[in-house]
Amino acid sequence: MDDLSLLSDLSLFLKEKKANGVKIVAYLAHDNIPEELLDAAGFFPLRMMFGGNDDLMDASHNFLPPSTCAFAQSCIGLYSTKPNIFSFLDLVDFFIVSNHCVSDICVSEIISKHFNIPRLDFYVPYTKNNSSLKYFKLELLELKKRLEAITGTEITNEKLFESINKYNEFKRVLLKVNELEILGSEKLKVLQRAMLYGPEFQPDLEKFIQYVRENPSSLLETSKDILFTGCSIFVNDNLVDLIEEGGGNIIFFDTWIGSHYSSQIINDSSIQTEKDPLDLLVLKFKDNIYGDHTVPNFLEQKVALIENYYQKYTKTKGRKLGVINHIIKFCDHISLLSSFLKERLQEKGISVLNLERDYSRANSGQLLTRIEAYLEMME
Amino acid sequence: MSLIADEIIQFSSVLRMAYNLLTGRNYLKRKKFREKEKLVAVTLPFSDLAFAAGTIPVFPIRMHQFEISQYLTYLGSASSIFGWNTVSNFLGFIRNLGINEISKIVDDIIEDVIDVINKKYNEMYDIGIENGISSDFCYGLKSLVGMHVTKGSNVDACLNVTIRCSAYNKYLESLKAINKGPKQIWVDIPPRNIGNAIELLTNNVSNAIKEFENLTGKTITDNQIRDHFKIGNQVKRAYKNIIYEISASDFYPCNPATFSEIMALLSISFQDYNSNAPRYRDNIMALEREMRERIRKGIGMDVADRPRIFVTPMFGGWEPKSHEIIYELGGRALYADWELLRMLEEIPTSSHSNPAEEYARFLMNATETGIGCDNDKLTDSYLRMARDLNADGLIFFQLFGCHSISNCYTMLREKVRRELEIPTTAITFNKIGENVEQVKTRLGAFMEMFR
Ligand code: SF4
Ligand code: SF4
Repeated sequence: MDDLSLLSDLSLFLKEKKANGVKIVAYLAHDNIPEELLDAAGFFPLRMMFGGNDDLMDASHNFLPPSTCAFAQSCIGLYSTKPNIFSFLDLVDFFIVSNHCVSDICVSEIISKHFNIPRLDFYVPYTKNNSSLKYFKLELLELKKRLEAITGTEITNEKLFESINKYNEFKRVLLKVNELEILGSEKLKVLQRAMLYGPEFQPDLEKFIQYVRENPSSLLETSKDILFTGCSIFVNDNLVDLIEEGGGNIIFFDTWIGSHYSSQIINDSSIQTEKDPLDLLVLKFKDNIYGDHTVPNFLEQKVALIENYYQKYTKTKGRKLGVINHIIKFCDHISLLSSFLKERLQEKGISVLNLERDYSRANSGQLLTRIEAYLEMME
Repeated sequence: MSLIADEIIQFSSVLRMAYNLLTGRNYLKRKKFREKEKLVAVTLPFSDLAFAAGTIPVFPIRMHQFEISQYLTYLGSASSIFGWNTVSNFLGFIRNLGINEISKIVDDIIEDVIDVINKKYNEMYDIGIENGISSDFCYGLKSLVGMHVTKGSNVDACLNVTIRCSAYNKYLESLKAINKGPKQIWVDIPPRNIGNAIELLTNNVSNAIKEFENLTGKTITDNQIRDHFKIGNQVKRAYKNIIYEISASDFYPCNPATFSEIMALLSISFQDYNSNAPRYRDNIMALEREMRERIRKGIGMDVADRPRIFVTPMFGGWEPKSHEIIYELGGRALYADWELLRMLEEIPTSSHSNPAEEYARFLMNATETGIGCDNDKLTDSYLRMARDLNADGLIFFQLFGCHSISNCYTMLREKVRRELEIPTTAITFNKIGENVEQVKTRLGAFMEMFR
């Protein structure tokens, strides 16, 4: 199940969707996009969660300065060079312009404008006070209206409840993947595939979990356990392999691709009592306290989350746990707070490697050296 | 520099503003310790609520001690005895006699004002990096972190207004990690004006006002807020007049390099009104008057044959030598960032209005039609401004590490070519003074187009 086969399978999957009249809505792979609403409207939500390389980054420089985050650069590069394996991007009908970060806005806007993909706007407030929650609902209503206008069909509450339940169930299963004791690279591949395909992948996911439980693999005792936070490892990025090559194993992905996504489950009692399903999406936004978009408490929440996991893990497993904070170069959110995150966690006795990089291949050697040095230090 | 110094001395209002900007530390110390006032850190021109609450807003760099010449200190003391006008006239008179020593001293004043500020900015930049902000961020943020690391613990609160720039918003979040003491007062501006967004923003403004009340222990009345808005409106009116009626005109009250220098000073000081709104209002209104008076008397310079070069953005960091270089190359540099971002709009103050709501409208207007929630809107703002200034060319400072404003240049270039048909170029910027030679070369090539 390598990245190439994942991408070609995805291509077939999306073609089939299109053949069935399903419209595809793409967006940058972060947070807070109401995929349940897209699903209820009959659209397929496609996350742009593909890593880059030198060529893709270079190809973006006609549009953005090189001091833009490597992921954003690569998203533009994908559109401007359209490598064969990514030809499925031609199938995208709409692109969501959202403000997870300002690069998200710029990239989505450029893709929409220069590659002629109609845009759908969805902006997210930065804080979580009452007004912000009400504002979030306004955005949901706007998007709903827009989707209904496109399809000419009302998105009924019933449909939306159905989608919410579907995604909820999917995430519950996904959560279990994060807990499996398997090699990090293997886990990541499953998470990536699941998040690309969405709830339709659930039966496969369940089978996979079942299989792993019945056939537990023996992880190398000598490998170092890692909690991976910060920016995600996207499809086609070999960072996880470098970590494993250096002697580490990611046991927990605390990133957009990983527990950050799968932990955003709306509780059942709210689903049962809430009359307006949009309010459930507002609730999901409100409860998303670990999201890096939000100010002013992201740092505290993140520190608390990592500390809790760390304490629990080291106590129950009796093993050391390292933390790698992955910073895609020029990432506003993760980079700006990285030194504070490291400092706070180190005060609590948790050692952190702030691993900053772009997608240039030339950096691999240096990255590996840094990873190895960190893992050695864990001994 | 002497040419600039020579001219600037004619405006006593500029001297006052410069003096107030540089001697903020003493003023703020007095306010904090003797008068027990609350200091509130502000950035960008978001000081209104802090003023309305009766606190003292401060752009944090002003808490630093600046190496100002003894001469300026002397000027300050002399002015408090004889009044600024007398001091200014006296200097002008001596200058006209051609006494070299004096003109050297006059040069020093200007160095105090611009170079000293810039030196301090660069110092803050280095401190910012030393204290953990990655060098990958923009000049403005690195310097701001430096300011808060060095002086942030002196303030009682930080007024944090979210904008579309995610790095800026995260920097705001980092303030409480830099200094635990100050209270953090937030105003979150909804990204778009949809539905009842104004009402929601009004609630956020009202909550911030409550936070200010908690900070000071005093009630803030609507009239108090309106009174400050009235002062702010006067400031903005004078600022706008200077931009539109003077900087865009063909006769300047001084040489264009001096004029740009004054505009740069306004741009920096407009963020916190040098911590005293009525005083700043008086100065900027006097400045407008002084300029008009000189123009009326025919004192100044005919600039009709000099192309108008709109230089922007400058507020997040720019090379301050640019206007001098442009001047030497036969042009004139126009600065108008705050107007471009719609920060110079007046706020209605009628007695039946709700000031929190009016302020919310002002913020929303700046967000929607100034900075814009996307680059399409932001680039429209640049176009509008260039058109309104009747600009002949546009120089865009592309800040290293700025992912918000700098990223719009490709789109802006296309729009400028298509809609304005004026030359435009981007100059990359990282740190003040770092690339002056390159800036010179770029500007030289650019200005060739006007020959
Ligand atoms: S800056 Fe960070 S959050 Fe924004 S697109 Fe890049 S990786 Fe994502
Ligand atoms: S908009 Fe650009 S210059 Fe301004 S704070 Fe953000 S990154 Fe810095």
